[in-house]
Amino acid sequence: MADPNTTISGLMSSTQGLRGPGSLRPGNADAIGTSKAAASDDKKTGFADAIKDYISKVDDLQQSSDTSIQDLLSGKSEDIASVVSAAAKADMSFKLLVGVRNKLIEAYKQTMNMPL
Amino acid sequence: MEVEKTFGPVDIAISGLRAQGKQMEVISSNVANARTVDAGKGEPYRRREATFTSEDELGGVKLDKIVTDMSDFLRVMDPGNPLADKAGYVAMPNVNLPVEMMNLNIATRVYQANVAVLKRYQQMVEATLELLR
Repeated sequence: MADPNTTISGLMSSTQGLRGPGSLRPGNADAIGTSKAAASDDKKTGFADAIKDYISKVDDLQQSSDTSIQDLLSGKSEDIASVVSAAAKADMSFKLLVGVRNKLIEAYKQTMNMPL
Repeated sequence: MEVEKTFGPVDIAISGLRAQGKQMEVISSNVANARTVDAGKGEPYRRREATFTSEDELGGVKLDKIVTDMSDFLRVMDPGNPLADKAGYVAMPNVNLPVEMMNLNIATRVYQANVAVLKRYQQMVEATLELLR
């Protein structure tokens, strides 16, 4: 996953590709794909791909957390430890995603409010 | 940041929780059978003990095997018991309740320690993410 430095350097190029804050959501991963198609240089696709990959990873973790909770509640499994583990992983990775998203939107707003 | 590596401490702490859960199971079996005179094979219940091994150099813990304690049975004078021998003694399980209570305390504390590691690690990650703001 991108560290804050590459996140910030990538912001300048990738904010162009984004249509708006709403396009960066786990359920809307395709919106980032279009920004990749519209991109002309390598740096842009690199950042968009990193975000896209990470979103799908976060989504996987969220879904495995959901299924483990469902299995526990429906009595299919009785392993509370695996539920805790899946929930902790999903929570931590989602927080990182939200942190990167907030940073991205902040940069977008700053760019839009720039007096010209 | 690779996702699998980030969650190393989580998996290790969870393996500790599982191991101590198993330890609890063994202890509860020992306590429940503390007075089981006939465990099936014509002899009293033998105390069980769980042994653990580490998974890798830097990894979690896993259950190695559950071994039986081969120490001598406790002999109790009870001539009226149908299971008593000619001298009037009945063999009782080699479970020592104070020892089991101590093991129970240790298992509880180690479990809590693993939970504390998990909590602290989550706090550490959150503290790192604060830097993004």
